[in-house]
Amino acid sequence: MEPLENNVSPEHPLGELATLVLGLALVGLALLAVVWLAVEGAVRWLPVAWEERVFAGSPLESPRARELDTLMRRLARHWPENAYALEIEVVEAPAPNAFAAPGGQLLVTSALLEQAASENELAFVIGHELGHVAGRDPLRALGRGLLVSLALAAVGGDEGASLAASAAQLGERSFSREQESAADRFALRLVAAEYGHVAGAADFLRQLPDAGEGGAAVRAASWLATHPRSAARVAELEALAHQNAWATAGELTPLPAGLRGE
Amino acid sequence: MSPELIQPLFDFGVPLFLLALGYFAGTMAEKSHYKSIRVRELRLRRMPTTNLRRPPPHWRIEKVALVAGSTVISVDYFKRFLAQLRGFVGGRVRAYESLLDRARRESILRMKEEAAKQGFDAVINVRLESSNIAAPLRNDRGTAGVEVLAFGTALKLIRQP
Repeated sequence: MEPLENNVSPEHPLGELATLVLGLALVGLALLAVVWLAVEGAVRWLPVAWEERVFAGSPLESPRARELDTLMRRLARHWPENAYALEIEVVEAPAPNAFAAPGGQLLVTSALLEQAASENELAFVIGHELGHVAGRDPLRALGRGLLVSLALAAVGGDEGASLAASAAQLGERSFSREQESAADRFALRLVAAEYGHVAGAADFLRQLPDAGEGGAAVRAASWLATHPRSAARVAELEALAHQNAWATAGELTPLPAGLRGE
Repeated sequence: MSPELIQPLFDFGVPLFLLALGYFAGTMAEKSHYKSIRVRELRLRRMPTTNLRRPPPHWRIEKVALVAGSTVISVDYFKRFLAQLRGFVGGRVRAYESLLDRARRESILRMKEEAAKQGFDAVINVRLESSNIAAPLRNDRGTAGVEVLAFGTALKLIRQP
């Protein structure tokens, strides 16, 4: 008697793999689309006052933060539509970087202050983060990270939870290239309005090595991890300055005394 | 090549390589195992093997012994990936069906081979047990494998003159 051999489903494993991968990818894309729509909708409807109440920051402490606050407010004068109270704080960190958090809070690392050669350079970085605030990017990133991690946690217990953690981190850390470009343009506009020229604005970006060059890359690694390649951004800024006939040369303002180290 | 490219290459390349390795090595191992199973099943098909607890009443028995055969088969990277995907949507886990089928048939064969080697004529009261051995760890890493144990009572009959 020949064995029946009917205990294994006849489907080809590669066919099964293709079906499963494609099907799950479609579901994942649909889920992402829903998350994207939900976050865009929520960001449009949530008033700034609500965002500030939820993410209320602590009062300013250090003298350096007060200096930065003055600089930030000078820049923000050129942004009349601003509805945020805005807060800025210095965090001790070895890598030069700056962040925008929900509720109109800016963070600048101590290394960035030490590396900045002029006030114009610093103004551009602050303007860039103000651009994220203007675009309500931190709130968007937070919402996306939260929804994606919720969805992943719902899909698969343990595995989902660990995936969810890294996804949430990713969502909080990175803005899209479009958001970065928009923030750069916003910053350049503020700098041009404040100083009458855009000299020095892109200096910070120019100092950063391209991701491909290595060498000093370690120092800038944390900025590179959260921001797109520098050369492309500098080129984009130069094109924008040219388009608006903003002077690219001009006298650089030295850093205020209170910001030049401690 | 820029370091920007190396990271994704590593992130996606290693799992892809392991998937391909799992698929080709796993398929080859399975094919050759099935080939061997079929040949040996044919060779041993004349030995009565049953799960009845008692021998037929007219059998006259000379000798009785416990015989057992056990097999452990590991899952490959490809099968585990497929089964994990299957776990999202449900359905028949084909990847593991063949694993268990092979382990079951191999165990019965080993049991029968043991009986044949010792000169027994039949195996009755055959039972199968399967257990998850080398279970994957909580985070789904580690090796998953299955053990199937087949055991029964081997009988040697008194030949009628």
